[in-house]
Amino acid sequence: MIESFKHLEVVAGNRDLAEVFLETDAEEHAVPAADILEALRKRRAVMRDCVERGKSGGQSMGKLVGEEARLLNEAFESGRTFLDPLTIKAELYALAVMGENSRMGVIVAAPTAGAGGIVPGMLLALEEERNIDPERTVRALVVAGGIGSIIALSANISGAAGGCQNEVGVASSMGAGAVAYMVGGTTRQSIHAAAIALKNTLGLVCDPVGGFVEVPCVKRNALFAVHGLTAAQLSMAGVESVIPMDEIVEAMVRIGRAMPRGLRETAEGGLATTATGLAVAQRIKDEANQRRADKAAERERTAQERKGQGR
Amino acid sequence: MGPVMVGPSSSHTAGTARLGRVAREILDEDPVEVKFFLHPPLATTYRGHGSDFALVGGSIGLNVDDPRIPESLRIAEQMGVEIAFSEEDLGDVHPNTVRIEIRGLTGEAEITGSSIGGGVIEVFQINRFQSRFKGDSPSLLLFYRDRPGMISEVTGILAEEGINIASLYCSRKQRGKDAFMQIDVDSPPSEDALGTIRRIVDMEEAQYLDRIP
Repeated sequence: MIESFKHLEVVAGNRDLAEVFLETDAEEHAVPAADILEALRKRRAVMRDCVERGKSGGQSMGKLVGEEARLLNEAFESGRTFLDPLTIKAELYALAVMGENSRMGVIVAAPTAGAGGIVPGMLLALEEERNIDPERTVRALVVAGGIGSIIALSANISGAAGGCQNEVGVASSMGAGAVAYMVGGTTRQSIHAAAIALKNTLGLVCDPVGGFVEVPCVKRNALFAVHGLTAAQLSMAGVESVIPMDEIVEAMVRIGRAMPRGLRETAEGGLATTATGLAVAQRIKDEANQRRADKAAERERTAQERKGQGR
Repeated sequence: MGPVMVGPSSSHTAGTARLGRVAREILDEDPVEVKFFLHPPLATTYRGHGSDFALVGGSIGLNVDDPRIPESLRIAEQMGVEIAFSEEDLGDVHPNTVRIEIRGLTGEAEITGSSIGGGVIEVFQINRFQSRFKGDSPSLLLFYRDRPGMISEVTGILAEEGINIASLYCSRKQRGKDAFMQIDVDSPPSEDALGTIRRIVDMEEAQYLDRIP
C-alpha cells in the first residue's frame, strides 16, 4: 500500500505514475490493470456526455442555478470572451457537469459529486485544447484517483467532515496532479502541483444556501478548475510547495476539526445565513409545505370521489 | 475516482442510496414499509441534497447510477411501499448517519450506517448487532447462537472451497446468546458451501451479500 506522498515519490522513482497506481491496485485489491482502465474509460465517457448535456443548461432542483454553462458557452461561441480557450473550457465544462449534478443528472463523483465538475473541467479542456490522446486522459484519471485515495487515508472526503476544502480542495489537488502528469511532468511535479492546489484551498468552508448543492458550489467548481490548472502550471515551471503534501493534508484535517459545525454542510452558517440565503431557505420550506398541502387536498378529493362513486 | 452516480452529492445521494440498498439486500425481498431515522445534521440537509430520493431508491433496489433515482418516491408509491422519514439523535456518529427499518411480507431488517463521502459507507449496526460492513466486497452475514467452535467450523468450510477471507468480525448480545459474524471474502462461496454453512448446528441464518454497487 502507498501510505503517503513521500512514500509515493520513493516507490514511483522514474516510472510512469499511472502505472505505479495500477500496479498497487492490482496487488492490493486483485483487480487487473485492464479492468481499472476500462472502468475509467467508462468514467471519462460519462464525463464527456455530462459536459455535452450540461452545456445547454436548465433549472436546478433548488431553482437557484442552471443557466451558467449555457451563458458562458454562448459568450464563448459568439466571440464575446476575453480569456484563453483552455481557461474558458475548464470553467465551462466544470459548470456543465455541476449543472447536470444540480438537476440530479448522471455524473461521476470526483471525488465527490459536489466537487464533481473540477476534474472533468480541467482534464477534458486540456485534452481538447492540447490535442492529447483520450487514452492519456484515462491514465490521468488513474493518477487523479490515486492522489485522492492517498489523501483519503487520513482525511474524510466530505464537506460534513471538514468543509469545502475536503471536497473542492481535494478535487482541485487531484486534478492538478493529473494535469501535470498529462503534460509530461514527473511524479515529483505531480505531487507539487497537487500540494500547491490543496494548500491554497485550506480553510474553505461548506455553507450551501438552502442546503442545496448549488450556491456557491456550481460556480466554485468552475473557479477551482482554473485554480488547479494554474497550480499545475507553476509546478511544471519548477515551482515547489515549501510545505510537503503530506503535511498539507494533515493541516487540512486539523483545520476541518476546528471548523464549527455550522460551516460544515449544515446550511447553518456563512452564505446560508445571509439575508438572501435565509430567504431562499424560507421559500424552499414554504414550497415543501405547499406541496404537502396540495397532496393532502388531492388525497381528500380522490377519497371523496370514490365515496361518490360508491353510492 | 468516485462512482458514476445521480447528483447532487456523493455523501447524500451515492452513499445514502447504497445504505438504502444494504437494507434492501439484507431484507432480501421487496419491501412493503421502510422507515428512515435521520441523525440531526442529515435531517437538516437531506432534502436539498436529494437524500430522500436516494435512500428510497436504494431501498427499493436501484443502483446509485440509475437515472430513475429522482423518481424513486413515485416508484415506491406505485410499488405500494410505505415510506416514512423522521429525525433521531443517533449519538456520537458521523453527521450523515441514518437508521433504517425495512419490512417485507415475510421478514424485516434494521441497519444503522454512515455515508462518509465519495459514496463510501460504514454500516456499524445490522439487526441490532455491531458490524463493520462497507459493502465494498462480497460478504457473509451469519446470525447464530454463540458457542465455542463456530468460527472455526465456518472458516473451515470456506477454506475447503479455497475462499480467502479479507476480514472477519464477530459481535454478540450476551454470552451464549445471539451472535453475529461478518466475513468479507475475496470471492463468492458456492451454493453448496452456503448450504453447508446454513446446516451448521446453532446457525440461525446465513446470508450472502454481493458487493453493493
